[in-house]
Amino acid sequence: MKRRVLVVDDSLTVRSDLDEALTGAGFDVTLAGTLAEARHRLATGKSDLVVLDVLLPDGDGVDLLRELRSLPGTPVPVMLLSTEAEVKDRIRGLRTGADDYAGKPYDRDWLISRARALTRSPGREAPAPVVLVIDDSPTVREGLRAALSEAGYEVATAETGEAGLRLAADARPAAIIVDSGLPGIDGATVIRRLRQDTALRRLPVMLLTASESRDFEVSALDAGADAYVRKEDGMPVVLAKLVALMRASGAPSGVEETASLGSPKRVLAVDDSETYLQVLAGQLRNEGYDVALARSGAEALQLLEVQPVDCVLLDLLMPGLSGTEACRAIKMNPAWRDIPLIMLTALDEREAMIEGINAGADDYITKSADFEVLRARLRAQIRRKQFEEENRHIREELGRREKEATEERAARVLAETKASLMAELERKNQELESFSYSVSHDLRAPLRAIDGFCAALQEDCAASLDETGRGYLARVRNAAGRMGRLIDDLLSFSRIGRHGMTRVAVDMDGLFRGAIAEAREQNPSRALEFEVATLPRIPGDASLLTQVVQNLVSNAVKYSEGRNPANIRVSAEEFQTETVYSVRDNGVGFDPQYAHKLFGVFQRLHRADEFQGTGVGLALVRRIVERHGGRVWAEGTPGAGATFHFALPSGDPLS
Amino acid sequence: MTQGAVEILLVEDTPDDADLTIRTLRKHRLANALHHVQDGEEALRFLLGPEAPSPRPRLVILDLKLPKVDGFEVLRALRADPRTKTIPVVVMTSSREDRDLAKCYELGTNSYVVKPIEFGEFAEAVARLGLYWMLTNSVPR
Repeated sequence: MKRRVLVVDDSLTVRSDLDEALTGAGFDVTLAGTLAEARHRLATGKSDLVVLDVLLPDGDGVDLLRELRSLPGTPVPVMLLSTEAEVKDRIRGLRTGADDYAGKPYDRDWLISRARALTRSPGREAPAPVVLVIDDSPTVREGLRAALSEAGYEVATAETGEAGLRLAADARPAAIIVDSGLPGIDGATVIRRLRQDTALRRLPVMLLTASESRDFEVSALDAGADAYVRKEDGMPVVLAKLVALMRASGAPSGVEETASLGSPKRVLAVDDSETYLQVLAGQLRNEGYDVALARSGAEALQLLEVQPVDCVLLDLLMPGLSGTEACRAIKMNPAWRDIPLIMLTALDEREAMIEGINAGADDYITKSADFEVLRARLRAQIRRKQFEEENRHIREELGRREKEATEERAARVLAETKASLMAELERKNQELESFSYSVSHDLRAPLRAIDGFCAALQEDCAASLDETGRGYLARVRNAAGRMGRLIDDLLSFSRIGRHGMTRVAVDMDGLFRGAIAEAREQNPSRALEFEVATLPRIPGDASLLTQVVQNLVSNAVKYSEGRNPANIRVSAEEFQTETVYSVRDNGVGFDPQYAHKLFGVFQRLHRADEFQGTGVGLALVRRIVERHGGRVWAEGTPGAGATFHFALPSGDPLS
Repeated sequence: MTQGAVEILLVEDTPDDADLTIRTLRKHRLANALHHVQDGEEALRFLLGPEAPSPRPRLVILDLKLPKVDGFEVLRALRADPRTKTIPVVVMTSSREDRDLAKCYELGTNSYVVKPIEFGEFAEAVARLGLYWMLTNSVPR
């Protein structure tokens, strides 16, 4: 699908130039000469990019930008394009939310490249491999385009080495075919430049030549070509070699996702001399750089706040903030200190130049030097920055991968440990289950025999036993009965762990009333007084909580034996996250120093002949309450009764 | 014991439990026509083998934990055979496990009794089930 670009500029020349350039680059272009027209275009059709002039006959382009940025939804990318009278315009535009800013006169390739970057949505690019053909002969270009298209490749073409390098950076082809004899820089130089560029140096490159000479091939391969083919060999040979080349180069590693040397670069030039600045800007723009101009050190710092640049050219002697001071300010800022900074000096400023280098400048150049030298140094500095970024990127990437691998390993170990623990737990549970199953089955049988034959003895042989013998028999039966209850208690204790929890809103009031009725039934001769307050419902497992309530009520009844009447009070108090239920009796109480022993299995604070019991009941209570996420505790005084509390978390019973 | 006269088949491997059960049934005059076998295999041979009595017993009292063939298997086999599928079977076991109870009813038991430890309760349970199944209950003949 073609991306739509709206160009808003009052100059007809600019409009038709951009129309031609962008249409040629595969964009769908609409044009507007005024703000009013632009608003109309924006209202009637979707644009993927707006290239916007700042000074328009009916207003300020930045106002339109502000309107666009106040709209809801995904913001449309905006590139401001303006004659740069003041760096303030650039700063204002970028602060208002422009995605990019290009100064006029603009470089067409630069602008198209940025337009491509700004309209590129992730995952949208077609994966068909692009082959870049660099040749000055239209016949060869079109011939290759036809053959390659037929073979399923996307084809990009360039006429000169310089254009080819920029396109390589921009289009990221899968392979390059370059003619050896080109106007300007020749094919070997193109290859050498590619090999210097970290992002492009692994690209397979084939050199195409008309020459028959062996020497030529050697020098081409020396320059870094991967393959060499003679034009006279014909298209099938070119295609076959290309396929072999791309197969050998393999898939990209992913580490190379970085900006290329040839991608559009922005240079910030800082000088108080307007004349020098304009000359310099003109030369740099001819080289394809976007140039931001600042008339003072302060302006330069303001600009850096809003727009990153790839290199700073800084005049050493300026009024206000001096070059040295500006340099120090840039190099002390962590966000900017990696930007290459070249100091511009007059010939007689040797001392000052040394001072500038000491302040952190990366290089210096005299203003009187040829532009060629400046251009070379600029390239060198940008290349150095690129290498450093590349290295940092690779280090970060490797670090990230190592961290991922470590995390993955840790996660795997954790998962394995967890799985083996779960298996172990499962096994233990099964063991426990079969253990309690056989306890339930096998331990009962002998008990029944003991009790049964004692009973038979009592019934059938009572006459041949004296009082002592009958007494012993009664004690054997009594002991057997106690052991039976113990087994039952232990079994129900172990069953809690296996019991599945069904959480409902439990009617605690009903549970307590049921337990109280049962206690009255079992102790018909006792005077029992119960006071039950209003008890709120609580999320929990009804059958498990029944056991809690029964145990606490029967305990209270048991330990208040001898009180006439026994007084047992049940109450509840609701707190923010839990409800506390309490059972208070006026029985024998207990010594608080042993309170911690109350809830342990087989722990008893009273002698067996005082109160009967197995010592499992309260352990059972604690286990059930804790399974509900609650807690239990008790208060007591010897001779003055005891209070047992249990707290259960409140909350949505259905969750 | 005359084969044709067997009214109750007791399948119980524990001699103590068997004796206490028989003693209780005898006290209620229900043990006159009782046959006792000590494992599941013997039980199946008695009920389904070539020398099986006719008519068949009117009640089977079945323990679950038995040597060779367990009580579940016996129950399954009795319910699968048209000659025995209507004989009332009372499972008498020490197991209080819910899964055993559920399984026995799935397999078609008529009753499930957990043997009480206390002899008084045990005797009462045995007497009650004996009286019910032998005197109160009717089955298709």
